[in-house]
Order: sequence, then C-alpha cells, then structure tokens
Amino acid sequence: MKKFLIWFLPGLILGALFILGGGKAITATSTNDYCVSCHIHPKADASWKKSVHYETKSGIHIACVECHLPPKGQGYLWAKSTTGMRDLRSKWTKKAESFNFDARRNLEAANGYVYESSCVKCHENLFPSKLSKDGENAHLYYTQNREIKELRCINCHLNAGHLIEGYSHGSNSTFGSSSSAPKALFTEPSRVAEFKNFTENIPKSAVSFNMVAIPGGTFEMGSPASEPFRKEDEGPMKKVEISPFFMAEIEVTWDEYLIFYAQTATSERTADIKVVKEDAGSKVDAISGATPPYGQPDQNWGLGQRPAITMSYHSAETYCKWLSFVTGKKYRLPTEAEWEYADRAGTKTPYFFPGDPNKFERSGLKARFFKNDTTVINTFVLYRGNSSAKTQTPDKVKPNPFGLKNMAGNVAEFCSDYYAPEAYSFLTDGIKDPKGPASGTERVIRGGSFLDQANAVRSASRDFTKNDQWLRTDPQMPKSIWWYSDCFNVGFRVVCEYDQNTGKH
Amino acid sequence: MKETGISRRNFLGNATTVGLAGVVIPALFSNCADGQANKSVAIPDMLDQAPDGPVLKAGLIGCGGRGTGAIVQFLSAGPNLQVTALGDVFQDRLDTCRERIKKSKGQEVPLANCFVGFDAYQKVIDSGVDIVLLAAPPYFRPEHLAAAIQAGKHVFAEKPACVDPVGARSIMATSRKAEGKGLCIVAGTQRRHQRDYVATYQQVAQGLIGEIVGANAYWNGGKGWYIKDPDPKWSEMEYMIRTWSNWTWTCGDHIVEQHVHNIDVINWFTGKHPVKALAFGNRIRRTYGNQYDNFSTDFIFENGMHEHSMCRQINGTTNNISEFIQGTKGSTNCQNTIWDLKGNVIWKYEYPLDKQGKPTRTVAVDPYLQEHIDLVTAIRTGKVINEGENFAISTLCGIMGRVSAYSGKKVTWEEMMNSDLKLGPKVIAFGPVDIDKTVPLAGEAYIPEPKRPDSQKQI
Repeated sequence: MKKFLIWFLPGLILGALFILGGGKAITATSTNDYCVSCHIHPKADASWKKSVHYETKSGIHIACVECHLPPKGQGYLWAKSTTGMRDLRSKWTKKAESFNFDARRNLEAANGYVYESSCVKCHENLFPSKLSKDGENAHLYYTQNREIKELRCINCHLNAGHLIEGYSHGSNSTFGSSSSAPKALFTEPSRVAEFKNFTENIPKSAVSFNMVAIPGGTFEMGSPASEPFRKEDEGPMKKVEISPFFMAEIEVTWDEYLIFYAQTATSERTADIKVVKEDAGSKVDAISGATPPYGQPDQNWGLGQRPAITMSYHSAETYCKWLSFVTGKKYRLPTEAEWEYADRAGTKTPYFFPGDPNKFERSGLKARFFKNDTTVINTFVLYRGNSSAKTQTPDKVKPNPFGLKNMAGNVAEFCSDYYAPEAYSFLTDGIKDPKGPASGTERVIRGGSFLDQANAVRSASRDFTKNDQWLRTDPQMPKSIWWYSDCFNVGFRVVCEYDQNTGKH
Repeated sequence: MKETGISRRNFLGNATTVGLAGVVIPALFSNCADGQANKSVAIPDMLDQAPDGPVLKAGLIGCGGRGTGAIVQFLSAGPNLQVTALGDVFQDRLDTCRERIKKSKGQEVPLANCFVGFDAYQKVIDSGVDIVLLAAPPYFRPEHLAAAIQAGKHVFAEKPACVDPVGARSIMATSRKAEGKGLCIVAGTQRRHQRDYVATYQQVAQGLIGEIVGANAYWNGGKGWYIKDPDPKWSEMEYMIRTWSNWTWTCGDHIVEQHVHNIDVINWFTGKHPVKALAFGNRIRRTYGNQYDNFSTDFIFENGMHEHSMCRQINGTTNNISEFIQGTKGSTNCQNTIWDLKGNVIWKYEYPLDKQGKPTRTVAVDPYLQEHIDLVTAIRTGKVINEGENFAISTLCGIMGRVSAYSGKKVTWEEMMNSDLKLGPKVIAFGPVDIDKTVPLAGEAYIPEPKRPDSQKQI
C-alpha cells in the first residue's frame, strides 16, 4: 500500500492541481523558488548564479525550467508531469545525503535533464557576430549534421547553465604544464636481466612504474554460452597459448603520459600529417607527439596517479613507440589474447574473483527489487556502482592473482587487435599468440570502465573504439589525431616483450 | 529534332516572361551541405529596374575589370544608387576604375575615399557605405566577406567564393552570420539571375523532365588572359596578384574560378551537390602561372547519380560552355530548351522580340545587371536574399574536383569539409611569395624509363 501511495499520490496531486488550478498551478510550480525548494543539491543554485545563463548581457536570468523542461507545445506538460512525479517521489522516499550529486554533474547525466529543443528555442542564431573561428567550424558541423542525435549543444556548452570550475572547451595549450610528478631525474632506464617483476624508470624524468612478469601458459579465451550477460562476440571459446611477457601493474597514469607529452608535444598542427606519413614509412628515429588537446583531457578530476584518458589509439601507440625509444626495450599495447590471459590469471570464472554477475548487476528490473551484495566486486573493480562516475587512483582496488590492478574497470584499455565480432571463430584451437584480424577500422578495448555496470567488466566482455563518434565535438579542422573530444573512459596499459630464448625484452 | 506545337503557355498558364514571382524554388540558400535536398524559398520578382528608395551607397573592393563592370552595373540597377568608396592594392587599377565610373555614370568618387593597399578593404567597409562589392582575387574573398558582414554591410560577391576548404567554411559561416543579421549576399554566379535559366529551372522543378538522373557541365574554351611583358620592377607578389587568374592560390585554378558557373547550375537544378569526385587533369599547353589547362571530373551524388564535368582552356579545340541534365521524362540544356526522351522539343524559352519584331537570343535584362537589380530590390523591399552558402558549396565542389585531379585520388565531400587545406603564403606583403609554385603531378612516375629499340641500336 505504501508503494502504491508513493507511485500514485504525486500523480493524483498533480492531476488535481492541473484541473483545479489550471494554468496558475503550472506557473506556480515552474518558478525558480519552487524548483529550489526541493532541488537542494548544494551547488545547483550557487553554480547557476555564477553561470552565463544568470549573468546575461540582456539582464534576463534564464530560469530552471527554461533548460530543464522542453519548450511549451513541445512536450512541456508531459515532461513536467513525469519529471515532477519522479522528483516528488525522490523527495518523499530518499534522503538528500544519499544522492551523489557529483556523479550527476557530467554530460551523460545532463543529457537526461537538459532539453536540446530548449537550447535552440532561445538560441535561434547559432552564428552571432562574435562567434570565434573554432565556433564557426563547430556550429557549421552542428547545423550540417542535425541527423546525429548525440550531437547536442551541451556536448560543448556543459557549463552554460551551471558553472563548472575549470571547465573549458577550447584549445588547451597549457595542459599538463604543472605535473604533480616528483622532480628528481632518472638518467637511465632500468636494466632487466631476468624474467622477474621490475620497476621501469623513464629517463629524463622522475617517473617510474612497475612491470609484472606474466608467465607463459594456455587458457580458454572467451566465455561459455551459459555465462550471464554473455554476448555473441565472446565466442566461440578457443584454447590459446601465450608466451611470457611483462605487463604494467596499472593503467598508464597521467604522470607517465605527461612525460611523453612534455618531451614530444608540438604546437604545429601540420605535424599531424607528417607523423601519419612517417608512420607509413614505419622507420621511427624521433617521435613527434601530440598537439595540444581541445578541452580538459582529465575532465578536472585530477592528474597524478589517475589513469591517463582521452588520448587517441594513435596517441597510445605513439606513446609505446616513444617509451621503447627512450628505454631501449620493446613496449607496445597488449594483444587482446594477452590482455584476457593476464586478466584471468588462471581463473575460468566470469571475473578473476568469485561471484555471479547476476548478483553484482545493478541495472535491469531484477536488480531494482533485490538488493545485491556487491562487497566482493567493490574491492576489485571501479565500476558504475562505486566510481562516482570518475576515474580513481589505483590504490582504491586490490590486484588480480597476477598482481595487476584495474584490469577490470577504472578505464577500458586499448588492445592492438582490430575488432571483429566474429574474430574468435577464425582462431584455430591451440593457436599461439594470436594478433587478431589482419585489417579493420576500430580497435578492441577491454576491461570495461568506471561507467560500466557489472556485466561489462567481466573478463570476457569485449568492446571497441568508435573513432568518429569520439571526435564528434572536436571543432578543429581536421579533427585531432591525438585526443578524443568525446570519450573519457578509455585508457591503456603497456606490455613489454620478453624473448624466452635470449632473455632479451 | 522536331519541335512540337506545345508552347510554354501549356505549362505556365498566362505567366509572362518577367513574371517569375511566387514560384517556390529550392536552393536560394541551403541548410544542408551533405547532399540533401535544399530549403524551399520563393524567388522574388525579377524586375527590369530596382524600385526607388533612399540613397544606397556602395563601396568597391577590387577595381579590376570585373570590379569596374560590377560597380557600373550596380549603378545602373535603379534610382538613387551611388558609389562612394574604392579600394585596391594597385593605384593604377583604382585610378582607371574611378575614371571609367566618371565617364560612364557621371559619378566621381571622392579621393579621400579611395584606398590603396592590402588593408584597403577594411577602409572601404568603414567609410560609411551600405553595400560592398567584392571583386578582389578569390583568395581574399573569405576575409573580405567576413569583414563586410561583421560591419553590417549588404554584399555583392563575385565568384568563386574562395580557393580552399578553409575559405569555403569561412564563407558558409559568414553567410549564416549574415542570415542572423538580415543582410543580403548576392553572388556572381549570375546564371541564377538569368531569366531563360530561371524559366527553365521552373519547368524542371515542376517535373517536366521527371526525376533527374544524370548531368553534364562544360566550360571548354580558349586560353585565359595573362600579362606578356610584366614590369620588371614588380615584386613577385605584385606579379602574382596582377596575373591572379593564372595561379592556384589566387584563383583556385580554372575548374574553380570559371567552371564554378556550370557546377553551380547543376547544383541549383538538382537541389543537391556531389559528395565524391574522381578527376584527372593536366597542363599540356599552358606556359604561364602554375595551374592546369584541362580537367575532367566524375562527380558522384549521394544517390549515386553521376555528373560529368569538363573544363579546358586551350585554343584550337572544340568549345562548349553549357550544361545538360537528363531526366526520366526528358532532358534540358538548363538554359532554354527541354526535350522529351525521343529528342522532340517540348518546351522552349521565349526570348523577347527585337524592334523589328524578330526573335532574339538574349534575355531582356543582362544577367550581370539583373543580379544587381535583384540585390537592390531585396534590400529595398526587405525580402532578404542570401546566396552565400550556395556559392560556397558550388565553389567547394570545384575545389573537390581540383584536389582530386592534382592528387589523382578520389576525394569526398566529408574530406573537404574536414580539410585544413589553406593556400597562399603565410604573410601577404609585397616581395617574394613563399609558396610551392610547382605544377602538381598526379600518381607516380614510370621508373625506370623504358629503353627504346632505336636508342639501343645507337649504343
């Protein structure tokens, strides 16, 4: 009965309001004061007052409902009723402290309560006089690609209604100039004489990172048809042999990545084209690195030991070439097989720790009604259930049996294989060190991320890059080959080759 | 081909030659650069004279032959039109232009409003004019148009719109800005203001040839102009600007500079534009400048339709400057005639009669004049016309063909829209011009060169 009341009372009250009060009720429940009376998130009102939508040139304050409801006649009443009911229910059943407001201050969440139709209703002229050159290119792209639904105003103007400290959507030439990394310099890379865990020192920097010796072996790649949440591309399962190699204990951190960026970055955008040409010739004696990013690559979550994100696959690959160049070793991205082998670390279960994906999952109807016990997964994985929708530092989780951290979750990781849904069916059973399809367009990404539910951080779960989609709001012409403007949950981890016969790596 | 007895009246009722009002036609300006159908816009009356109104003052930027012609035509478009400012990079060109305006229209531009130099355009814009005529070499157009619209001026802009993709996007964005400000942009693609073309367009838009399934665009003509004996005192920059139609960076090559007219007609009639181009071209007779003298381009539209475009600037070859469109029910030369599928003429444009009552082959109002009449009419009636985006699209189609021919590779519209290709030197100043002046060669050379049998004998 209580549930019934919670669901239907708001509707009843709203319905009564509409019938009795009509227009007056609608107006009364659409004022800023009325909104703020419930929406107590500490920053909503204050950040709005600091935003450009409050301090407008014409002196008009843009009210809550002008962005958070569609325009009248375009689903206004419907949205008002449905969101109103949802809000009332939350108000009555939940405590304010239980909301993670920070987790909702991102683009993905904002898409749920900012209406594109409302943006363009007021912003009729997308080409005002003062529009910058980058703005011209971006708005041209927007107007010429209206059929792309994901292309929304707030992709670039997320801070329009509520100020976000440090948010920028512009060329960011000073990015990474203040790294938190220690200052003492390594002059030499580490020497590795045997197949044992080692710490790599990046020369001309104070940054080092741990490499874990992964013994060779054989494993079953993919998942059985019986595994919960299994997708078609995870099979058929194949027996795969993997040679020994070293794998980084953690995902490449900002500290590590920014050394590469500082030592190789170039401001000349034409260099992009040169690099592509050099790559085609495959002889690399000096590495040209990334051009300045567009926007804030770390999403203002901080640098340091958090995994580096938003760099393109090309950047990650170039990073490995650079790292090989400065250390004299053979660093590269893992193959998909190496990745899964290292992640499983001998386990055959859905995760490298015990547990049933069904019991960890929080999405779907079932999960809503049964409170799942997520204690185990919480200790090993940063995923949607515990990440606050951000990357986190590696000390937040326990390692897998090989000693690798964040194989599942935190950020998804690039593998060197081209992605093909049917890739495993081309593998012969018992194949040694497979490298994936010979050609393709998108690369495999593995491990799931802080955005994913429990189902997508399973050991066998596969995903892939979406190059065009991830560059959608980069207004530069041509778009950057170094930074994704619209992907912030993918990073990478390096592996170092080990030659069994000679002991060289 | 046998003419049938069907006259255009069967299709247009009692409409008169001039009475093109009220017909909704697409493509005066377009929202879409992705090959989709354009917005429908009613074209205004094509009047013989622009209506009277308060004085409109014009400034001319680029006082060469075309600029001088354009300003004289502007002054002839209606009552109360004045030219009050001139700008050019060369004093002698400006003086000649000023003299010709005085002779033919009796207007004397005050010397204080005559500006010389690379910044002259801004001074003309800031001199208190209402309209700016842009007739400098195409390289400068995007910058000039942006400055004019920024300052709130109506614009007549000569074609082509630009020489590279960066310029094309700039023109597109500036056109949107003009739209927001209610400013007019009329482009020098004057076929859209040529009454026989417009009447033919109406027939095609109403379905007389059915669905359009193929098209051809031609500008096969003689060699272009050049300066035989350049003054040895000229710097390289001066030489290049004075011979601007011979250099790719200043004019875009002739597939852009000249052939844009025909490409634009096909875009206009189809309401779309090609999304791919595979072209070849080369330089077999030209001896000056660095551009090609012939191009042949296979343009492909979104729906798979092909448009063949040819352009050539070589003397002593067969000339043909025209367009042709094939539909499912008939075909047209886009200018004045429509045939059925058997080749019978089913519609013909009725040209006005001369004083002796004999039919002529020319429209009543010269299109180069008509475009200015239409511009002044639009300003004075408040019915804004904005051709900026369309002429940027047509120009970019030409550029797409050029890039394909120079590179020997297929080029897509998407690549063009994402390209950062910008021609010209980094600094615009008199002196040496620091750019690659070599003529592009597509593909790879034959290596090693084959030995000829006769040369082997000599060894």
